Amino acid sequence: MIKKMISMALMATLCLSMTACGSGSGSTSKDSGKSVQSDADSGQSGDNGNAQDGSSAESDKAAVVDKGTLVVGITDFEPMDYKDENGNWIGFDADMATAFAESLGIKAEFVEIEWDNKALELSSGNIDCVWNGMTLTDEVKGSMNCSNPYCNNAQIVIVPAEKASEYQTVDSLNGLNFAVEVGSAGETQAKEHGLTYTAVSNQAGALMEVAAGTSDAAIIDSLMAAAMVGEGTSYDQLTYTVGLNSEEYGVGFRKGSDLKDALDEFFKASYADGTMQKIADTYGVQAALIAQ
Amino acid sequence: MDTFLEQLPIVIHSLNTGFLQTMKLFFVTLLGAVPLGLLISFGTLSEFAPVRVFLNLLIWVVRGTPLMIQLLIIYYFPGLVLKNPVWGGGEAGRFAASAVAFVINYACYFSEIFRGGIISIPLGQDEAGMVLGMTKTQIFFRIKLLQMIKRILPPMSNEILTLVKDTSLARIIALQEVIWAGQAFMKGSQGISGAIWPLFFTAVYYLACNGLLTLLFNRAERKLEYFR
Amino acid sequence: MHILEVEHIGKSFGRTEVLKDICFTLEKSQVLSIIGSSGSGKTTLLRCLNFLERPDHGIIRVAGRTLFDAADEEKQKESEIRKNRLHFGMVFQAFHLFPQYTALENVMLARQLQAKKRADYKSAKKEILTEIRTEAESLLAQMGLSNRMKNYPHQLSGGQCQRVAIARALAMKPDILCFDEPTSALDPELTGEVLKVIRQLAEQRTTMIIVTHEMSFARDVSDQVIFMNDGYVVEHGTPDQVFEHPREDRTKQFLGKF
Repeated sequence: MIKKMISMALMATLCLSMTACGSGSGSTSKDSGKSVQSDADSGQSGDNGNAQDGSSAESDKAAVVDKGTLVVGITDFEPMDYKDENGNWIGFDADMATAFAESLGIKAEFVEIEWDNKALELSSGNIDCVWNGMTLTDEVKGSMNCSNPYCNNAQIVIVPAEKASEYQTVDSLNGLNFAVEVGSAGETQAKEHGLTYTAVSNQAGALMEVAAGTSDAAIIDSLMAAAMVGEGTSYDQLTYTVGLNSEEYGVGFRKGSDLKDALDEFFKASYADGTMQKIADTYGVQAALIAQ
Repeated sequence: MDTFLEQLPIVIHSLNTGFLQTMKLFFVTLLGAVPLGLLISFGTLSEFAPVRVFLNLLIWVVRGTPLMIQLLIIYYFPGLVLKNPVWGGGEAGRFAASAVAFVINYACYFSEIFRGGIISIPLGQDEAGMVLGMTKTQIFFRIKLLQMIKRILPPMSNEILTLVKDTSLARIIALQEVIWAGQAFMKGSQGISGAIWPLFFTAVYYLACNGLLTLLFNRAERKLEYFR
Repeated sequence: MHILEVEHIGKSFGRTEVLKDICFTLEKSQVLSIIGSSGSGKTTLLRCLNFLERPDHGIIRVAGRTLFDAADEEKQKESEIRKNRLHFGMVFQAFHLFPQYTALENVMLARQLQAKKRADYKSAKKEILTEIRTEAESLLAQMGLSNRMKNYPHQLSGGQCQRVAIARALAMKPDILCFDEPTSALDPELTGEVLKVIRQLAEQRTTMIIVTHEMSFARDVSDQVIFMNDGYVVEHGTPDQVFEHPREDRTKQFLGKF
């Protein structure tokens, strides 16, 4: 918390020295509700569409409904969010997000973000949620208002295939140099198991480290490993061995947002009527699905 | 999609789209930063002290902080601090924010090059113009500008080649330029996953573009060789 | 009527007084030479006449019209001064030709820019430009540079450059043409060709003020000579008076060096 405040203060100071020629709109509305409202002309204002002076917890859902689109922050991450041949976003997460937006009577707009900046994107209001196979770590839960978990995942170890037989247990991993994605659940696991590691910018980068021989092994998501490692990929010389933990995916909203409750309700309903399972089936993640 | 030949057209198409974005940012920056830089350089040469002090402060801050931080501040500051996310989350907003950050940043660098160019021209050129009854504007545009361009061409070509490559910094606020497009295939995109070569292949785009620019600059330099 | 009246001109740079109470007059078609050692203020005086420096005191009149009065703010406005400058032409020691233009373009440029302000510019553009060109060509021919019109300054010798600069100044049809040590930047063998041109202008009755170190040339060509020392006009008279019968010791001392 203190760290966050310090960085905010630093940012504000820097900004002050730049505003003179910076963003153009010096001092505008202090209220997020107001500004979004001006974009959406009419119609679709929900029951508390004019909640301008309430806290963000009261206004977030109404504000999003008012502007008519749910802006979903994603990365290109098969099988959760990826593009079909026509350039439309599909995947288990993308389809669920589209369905959720429909249930609110609005449209989902998918925006690719830099994963490191997901909390920044959310709190600055550039996106409304992070819905991209996001592991519910303490850090994530601390910076966002997270939905109930909907998918199981694990952090698993990736090594070159020819050495796989040597590293089938957790104890055998000591002494290896790992590559992990910075700030990822994989990094948390490496820390917890006391492993030596280098943090790289993303999971794909961690794999490249192993393929290039600059690291001995990597730790990445099991759902991702299924899509990226082994036969038919550029990493066919790599394979996965031990699982280090089990963890869960969830959707992140702004702190205090009432969209979280709306999504939990929506998950329950669509699990109850079987739509959630059907979509999971389509993308091969049915085994990982968590009952709502 | 396991063979390279099957991947190639998909990857190239994706990289082309990314490179279009790179080029868009490059040209918008150039178009904005050259005139703005010229204005700033006039300002720093102004006899009015407050303008000079303010602009020198601006140049100090902009040149003294990383462009990456400036991108983050310009894109996230309105939403985080002013509670008004003016840029929006879409691609257009990210491009606009990137363009603003790049124009301001490069205008400050350009302005110093321009200033150097202006003060390197002998005072005698001003005086010769003045005694012939020319206005300050006429003296600048008809006499000094071309001499200045000739002198600043080498440092400008340096700065502009750097700009082409610096556009890749905009991916910090998720502008999908060519490196972003190349990197997407490492993780998995459009049915190709774990492909490393597209990322490295982006270098070819930069190389080709900068090759072309180098040729253009050499040509311009040769064109201005007719006078000394 | 005097073509030029200079009254009580004074000028300081910081605490250094460079010009002290300078007064003189000049008649039309006369040549005035200003001599004196370096630092005596003669170049500053010339620059004051062209308003490249602004005098702190004094009045400058041309043909009876007051162009500058240090006591009158109205007369010191930039636009006012720009207009009044055109009464004077200026030839610099270091030529200051525009390097990106040919000899001919150097001579035509200011006239062309000036012509754009004419009311009939749009309707008679072609005729006006042709006239400017013809005049420029004849000026360069008069300078003996007919075959050099298309050359750029770096392709010309120092003497040729200075002759282009003279043509450039004459193109503006000034009332008084000023020369600031026109041959000081030239090799001795190139000095002659420039002096020859100035002499020729004197024969054509051009009003000129020449700051120079060429004593025999000054004696030959001038109607009046001023000897300056330490910011003062020490001696002022005909060449015969100043060179043959100087009254002041300082003048004798200076001339004794030649």
